[in-house]
Amino acid sequence: MNNTQSAENRLHALDAVRGFALLLGVAFHAALSFMPGWPPGIWAMNDNSPSQFLSDAAFVTHIFRMSLFFFIAGYFGRLLYHKLGARAFCANRGMRILVPLIVGWVVLFPLISFIWTAGITKVFGGTMPPMPEMPKVPGAFPLTHLWFLYQLLLIYVVVIALRTLVARVDRSERLRGLVDKAVSASLHAPIAVFTLGLPVAAALMSLSFWFYWQGIPTPDQSLIPQIPASTGFGTAFLFGWLVHRSRDALSLITRRWFVHLVLGVIATGWLLHTMHASPMAQPGLTKTLFAMIFGVAAWGWVLGLTGAALRFLSNFSATRRYIADASYWIYLAHLPVVAAIQVWVGHWPLHWGVKYPFILLVSFAILFLSYHYLVRPTFIGQLLNGRKHPRKPLPPGATPSPASPPPAATGNGGPVAQLRGITKKFGAVTALNSIDIEVRRGELLAVLGPNGAGKSTAISLWLGLIEPDAGVVTLLGGEPQDLAQRRGLGVMMQDVEMPKELRARELVDLASSYYSHPFTVEETLWRAGITKFADRPYGKLSGGQKRQAQFAVAICGRPKVLFLDEPTVGLDVQAREAMWKSIRALRADGCSIVLTTHYLEEAEALADRVAVVAKGRVIASGSVDDMRALVARRQISCESSLTADEVRGWPGVVDASHDAAKLQITATDAEGVVRRLLASDATLTRLEVRQAGLNEAFNELTREAA
Amino acid sequence: MNALALKSIVADSSGSGRAMGAYFTETKYELTRMIRNPNVAVPVLLLPCGLYALFALLIAGEAIDKDPNLGIFLFAAFSIMAVTMPALFGTGVTLALERDMGLLRLKRAQPAPPAAWVVAKIVSGLVLAVLAYIPILVLALATGKLTLGTGQVAALSAALMVGTIPFCAMGLMVGSLASGTAAPAYANLIYLPGCYLSGMFFPLPTSMYWQTPIWPQFHVEQFAMHLAGIAKYQFEPLQMAIASMLGYTVLFAGVTIWRLKHKG
Repeated sequence: MNNTQSAENRLHALDAVRGFALLLGVAFHAALSFMPGWPPGIWAMNDNSPSQFLSDAAFVTHIFRMSLFFFIAGYFGRLLYHKLGARAFCANRGMRILVPLIVGWVVLFPLISFIWTAGITKVFGGTMPPMPEMPKVPGAFPLTHLWFLYQLLLIYVVVIALRTLVARVDRSERLRGLVDKAVSASLHAPIAVFTLGLPVAAALMSLSFWFYWQGIPTPDQSLIPQIPASTGFGTAFLFGWLVHRSRDALSLITRRWFVHLVLGVIATGWLLHTMHASPMAQPGLTKTLFAMIFGVAAWGWVLGLTGAALRFLSNFSATRRYIADASYWIYLAHLPVVAAIQVWVGHWPLHWGVKYPFILLVSFAILFLSYHYLVRPTFIGQLLNGRKHPRKPLPPGATPSPASPPPAATGNGGPVAQLRGITKKFGAVTALNSIDIEVRRGELLAVLGPNGAGKSTAISLWLGLIEPDAGVVTLLGGEPQDLAQRRGLGVMMQDVEMPKELRARELVDLASSYYSHPFTVEETLWRAGITKFADRPYGKLSGGQKRQAQFAVAICGRPKVLFLDEPTVGLDVQAREAMWKSIRALRADGCSIVLTTHYLEEAEALADRVAVVAKGRVIASGSVDDMRALVARRQISCESSLTADEVRGWPGVVDASHDAAKLQITATDAEGVVRRLLASDATLTRLEVRQAGLNEAFNELTREAA
Repeated sequence: MNALALKSIVADSSGSGRAMGAYFTETKYELTRMIRNPNVAVPVLLLPCGLYALFALLIAGEAIDKDPNLGIFLFAAFSIMAVTMPALFGTGVTLALERDMGLLRLKRAQPAPPAAWVVAKIVSGLVLAVLAYIPILVLALATGKLTLGTGQVAALSAALMVGTIPFCAMGLMVGSLASGTAAPAYANLIYLPGCYLSGMFFPLPTSMYWQTPIWPQFHVEQFAMHLAGIAKYQFEPLQMAIASMLGYTVLFAGVTIWRLKHKG
């Protein structure tokens, strides 16, 4: 269920990216009337206040916005294809892409032509220059900005044909397995950002007439596919498709977002610098370099922005959802609106710094209003986005919303923190192996195990410090990386030193500032029993006092879940009793507590439940009594002439050993063993039988696991 | 409004108010720590001022009286040293120590706003930079070794403050890469050559001009010269200086983030 949840979250982020790419297109076109040095006629208007800045900014967005769109389209393409099947996929794409292309063109082309004519006439001072002829290219057709729909349809055809072929040839899926590995490896290294741009670089290098500013020349003049655009956007689509195939590509993209973005920015800086020196490509090294670095810039931005969105925008937001829904309509309809306003303001005696924001503001206002009233509640919204939204909001709960919170994982008695099917490796060492542990509301779970058993790894997963290789980690019903979840936790770690210059009181004050409803500093100090030395610098405290100060920092936020990693190490008896008391008080307030410890009496004194971890697995879990019952073993000790080896083979004996004076036997059937002992050795003395303590139970279990 | 009132508002509000409160508290204690730790504060605050007094007043005093440009040159050099050293060492060494202490791991586990400690370190670096810069400025103005208009002094000072940011980022990078004991050594290793090879302290032969843009100090100085309008010492366009400072900041910050993410 949580996998579905996290898959849905990813879709929110990717939807946001697609919406962003489309809205960026509006900003891009709105800048085109301000391009310095463009001859009249290329765009609807030549503004009287040109801007080098807007020219550069438009170039930068132009590097990646369409590749970004096609990349996401590829991802969603495969998702949809596998959800619907081939036939329904084609029908769906026909409705959502082909119909808007045809209807959109029929409606928009006359409007665009009209505005262009008006604008160019205005630029030429009222007289209309002779209309330029259609460019003499094969298949010439003015696709306008709707070319991307046409291109998308072509790519769908090619990719589905390719997929059918691969499915037929590669029946064992070996080839596809290799491709998946290559995708992961290229993102892991990360070399994808350097290699994905190579095909389009080759196509760009071969262009005989190439203004660097154009980037990938827009294929809006012809129905015949153009090589650079088909190569560049085809690669983007295909890679998006393969990323959807891959198990871990998306998480790699998420993790590498910053590296990719930095590479994109650096490459973009170089492109801008080079383009300023010479805007028109001349055959030679610079052109080759420009084409290749263009690829790095495009993919740096595409992977960087996608990763950043996955990292930061994965939660559901009603506003983002609305904007993402609106973006398709807005992009389809924007061109005549934007161009009309550009023509309108073109001769105003104002700086571009005023006019450009004005154009954006008015355009977006018109486009969003038209979406809200004419599209969202009508059949157009149904056509473009697959569903109609009623104009009046339904009563709460009438429609299932993706915003609905995750299932009540924090309900009374339910788990507040879970590790499910977790595997975590560090190099060749498997720290945790398919482990399942949960902490229920209001309980104290003691995690026991020898050093290196995986206890601290489990805690680190819950704290969001590391990510699992497989499995799901939940904390308070969400992901531990989310700040909102972490506000509910308190933590005391091993091997942490606090700043020695600060006083204990100041450390508590600082930690309290991270929480929504912390205890007052005085109350925290009192609860942790450190009021006496609260004003001494941390560096001057004894080892035990330092642990107590760290305990105070852990509890100051009134935590719902408290993680205590070996909290009482180095404390004297009094301090330990005080800390136990404080822990019990927190639990009485409903706080759930996870405690790792080596002191077994600590677990016996405090724990509701015990989980024994050894070699990366939970080998036993239950209440302290359960644990004893599970082992159901008793310790028999006596002075006897029998040897341990003789006794070990008896029925009901689990283990036997001989220490300096006594024979020690661990038995499941104590009565039977005692009877036989007395029968076998008439001289037997000092017989003692007792229930095994947790200590023995724990030792037995971990030994068996080893 | 007193601090108590401010605090209660911060405690009662949610969302952005709380985050602001965390940033404020983090910064307050970061500064408290720096000021209570004389090992960092003393050399960083006194060294540049002492060196400026030695060179600009005692050694080159007369030469400056003949050529006021020399005074500006030396003032800029030692001021850059004064503001960049706390930025670099203050952030870098403390970060490296905190990583050794496991404190950064604890902060990542706590619900601290992810950028709070970074902002706290940068702000503290800036405050220390101001504290190191003011004595030099006072000394230069009082002895008449800096002959600039008030507006120029203000612009130069502002430029120097902005110029600390790449060095804060450099400090964070060093702190994220090196251990607590090695961090000062590494910081010196990348900082000191730049002071000389950027041409900040003495004019370089023409044959060495090509390598000056490698050093962040060079761009900070150029930025300051542009803002103060001192044409004689402008060797690269303003945009280039800004772009380079920005580039270095992004680069260093990127390495830091990468490193902290992968190694902690």
